[in-house]
Amino acid sequence: MFERFTEDARQIVTHAEEQARRLRHRQVGTEHLLLGLLSRPETLSARLLMARDVDHERVLAKIVQILGDATGGDIDAEALETIGIDLSAVREKIEEVFGVGALDRGPHRNRRGALLSGRRAPFSPDAKKTLELALREALALKSRDIRDGHILLGLIREGESLGARILVGAGVDLPALRAEVRNAL
Amino acid sequence: MSDTAQLASDAGSRDPAVGLRAVRALRLLVERLEALQVENARTAGWSWQEIALLLGVSRQAVHKKYASGRGLLRREK
Repeated sequence: MFERFTEDARQIVTHAEEQARRLRHRQVGTEHLLLGLLSRPETLSARLLMARDVDHERVLAKIVQILGDATGGDIDAEALETIGIDLSAVREKIEEVFGVGALDRGPHRNRRGALLSGRRAPFSPDAKKTLELALREALALKSRDIRDGHILLGLIREGESLGARILVGAGVDLPALRAEVRNAL
Repeated sequence: MSDTAQLASDAGSRDPAVGLRAVRALRLLVERLEALQVENARTAGWSWQEIALLLGVSRQAVHKKYASGRGLLRREK
């Protein structure tokens, strides 16, 4: 699905995945995509968002406030301690090899039915929908490429997601932003 | 020492609740470790047979658990 994404758009998605991993979140959500959009300040969407006082630092703080950073994960460290296993020591060794958060997500099946490790965080249904909507927005605007602005339009259209709610919470008028992005694309 | 660990040593670890909790946590840990290591081995080009040998399970067991459904239609090494 990413073949038609521009370099900026790809970097935005990559940044979203990195942020979800770093925060040890189970999935890459629209909130991480929003961080991705803000990670490249020179892009159209970042400029429009920053003009509305929405920046990376502020969104990150909001996400941590809402979701927490799941440091420590969901494995019962106290129970393991009773049989002499120091989970933090195990985690440190594993993260050295497989990266931050590798033990914090359970394995999951991909679309083809293969069982994948928790090394990479899967996209949430909302985030997948947002990327599909980005594609549709690009088609509707007769664009050959999927650009950062299309991802932002997708995020706005998937209006109930956490990413969009964070924007609304920051006082952003979504319909006005949508009109402005469409004009500029 | 945490409360639970203290409790466990006080009770000589005979409290089933403490023991069962530990088993559950360990299983979760093993599931995740196994998935990471199997994926790593596949990425490095290992066959299911080689992975199964080191895990001490049958090739079928590891293939059924980790391979994609479509893999059954392909010829698997």
